[in-house]
Amino acid sequence: MITFDNVSKRYPDGTVAVDGLSLDVPAGKTMVLVGPSGCGKTTSLRMINRLVDPTSGRILLDGRDVQQSEPSALRRGIGYVIQQTGLFPHRTIEDNIATVPLLNHWGRAKARSRARELMELVGLEAGLARRYPHQLSGGQQQRVGVARALAADPPVLLMDEPFSAVDPIVRATLQDELFRLQGELHKTVVLVTHDVEEAIKVGDLVAVFRPGGRLAQVDSPQQMLGRPADDYVEGFIGFDRGIRRLSFFAAAGLDLDFDAVAPEDTTIAEALRAATKAGEPWLLLTDGDGRPRGWASIEQLKSASGQQRLADLPLTSYGHTFRPGSDSLRAALDATVLSRSGRAVAVDEDGRVVGVTSYERLRAAIQAAEETSEQSGERWPGRGEVADQAAAS
Amino acid sequence: MSTWTWLSTNAAMIRQLTLENAILGLVPALVGLAISVPVGILCVRFSWSWPPVLSVTSAVYAIPSLAIFVVLIPYTGLSNLTVIIPLTLFSLCVLVPNVVDGLRSVPESVRQAATAMGFGTMRRLVRVELPQAIPVIIAGLRVATVSSISLASVGQLIGVSSLGYFFIDGLQRDFPLEIYVAIVLVILLALVCDLILILIRWLLTPWQRSQRAGPRVDELELATAGQRG
Repeated sequence: MITFDNVSKRYPDGTVAVDGLSLDVPAGKTMVLVGPSGCGKTTSLRMINRLVDPTSGRILLDGRDVQQSEPSALRRGIGYVIQQTGLFPHRTIEDNIATVPLLNHWGRAKARSRARELMELVGLEAGLARRYPHQLSGGQQQRVGVARALAADPPVLLMDEPFSAVDPIVRATLQDELFRLQGELHKTVVLVTHDVEEAIKVGDLVAVFRPGGRLAQVDSPQQMLGRPADDYVEGFIGFDRGIRRLSFFAAAGLDLDFDAVAPEDTTIAEALRAATKAGEPWLLLTDGDGRPRGWASIEQLKSASGQQRLADLPLTSYGHTFRPGSDSLRAALDATVLSRSGRAVAVDEDGRVVGVTSYERLRAAIQAAEETSEQSGERWPGRGEVADQAAAS
Repeated sequence: MSTWTWLSTNAAMIRQLTLENAILGLVPALVGLAISVPVGILCVRFSWSWPPVLSVTSAVYAIPSLAIFVVLIPYTGLSNLTVIIPLTLFSLCVLVPNVVDGLRSVPESVRQAATAMGFGTMRRLVRVELPQAIPVIIAGLRVATVSSISLASVGQLIGVSSLGYFFIDGLQRDFPLEIYVAIVLVILLALVCDLILILIRWLLTPWQRSQRAGPRVDELELATAGQRG
């Protein structure tokens, strides 16, 4: 647990970097500090490991004022990852990762075997151990940075724009990996970013800063998207917050339709009957294994002659599918929007159709999710739970 | 007299003078290194001191070596020290700026990361900053060594023996062969010392050997396609 207790930082020239910050970072959670440049988020981060000392106020780490700790000893208990990686160019990857264990006198053999463990943990091939940082790609270097920060197993991890210097595809992968790692390790993470998407994606809690070093709002991402504290926060988190918020609602709550689904060996007459009964303008055809083949419209079925087989009809592509067990309503909505039929196909882990959904059904599910969220004031099926449900199903 | 006959008849003397020339060249470079590292560190640490120090080194470098010999003779006589002291001063003029440049070439992010991982100032200097300054420091050391070896021969003018003896002797006896051979010997001596320093740098900086060794592992191959809604 990290506590900022009315912390301010003023520089001699009168600049106020941080103004009366009070903030709790619960143990084992990821707190993202986000805001425009010059809002004091990095200064706040750097006060935790005393790279910057506050002008007034206190920062408590597990109840202890960090100002009372000897800086070097304090820092060895806090992992630190920065945008430019700060890897030591003259040391091999394994020695970079083993830095803090070596400072803590673990002995070289033990420190190196720890480094190998961490390389595996962050997804680096063992063959890279003897390479030097400049021989690795930007994304790999950033993984080394994370491994180095975790080497001595510190309870706290500080990350200053860790993924800003890599391209979007690598960034998304690294964000997912951080999320996965955090699920295993439960560190207390403080991450600074200027990217709201990143904040919402990786944070359990998000703290939005205003220019001038003041805190605008601290909340879970879902709550913040649902109820921004004021116009500043609303403007900062962006115009499509409604849609982004759907990421936090599991698609498991969707009411799926299985009547408008037919195996492709059905006769045209039977198929037409099924579609009419379901009251649906589109019928999804599946192959022998129950995997989707494509959409046939009711007009197509009506105009087809009785001799034609369903499998011979030109089908409309089913686009991309979603999995109710692990995906969110946002993924379901996205699949629906992209589908020519205005309907999205839900599949199980093996890609077999479990039902289809339409705008109407989505609307009902979104409404129900919003209501549940309003009533409880809590995260509905929050992020962790979405994954848990997937594992359980 | 052929070159070979002259070389063989004077072999012992050539060996002796080459050795003395080597000592007169290497001692100033090494003493200069020992002094310039702490001086350079202080100049980086207290950055206000660097502009005046740089001015002084430039001014000292402009003083003719012979002038310093003459000034020193009343104190150190006609000893090796009279030659070693000015050559050390000249080495400093080359080495101190290189130590400063080398230390400043360490990226701020690397220094910051070292601090944040719990390196104290001294430990960070020895384990992180100085190793990265090695290539630039050795580049300076090479210049200092080669110029000391070459300048050492001037000491012959005040009787401190080196390969410079052959220049003066050749001139006095109107025997150019001796001069040419000595020039070649000075160049060879400088080249050998330079090669040794290149080797030392190669040994000390393994990370610089592999600028392009091995293909990068494709980032996307490593990416585990984790998808979350």
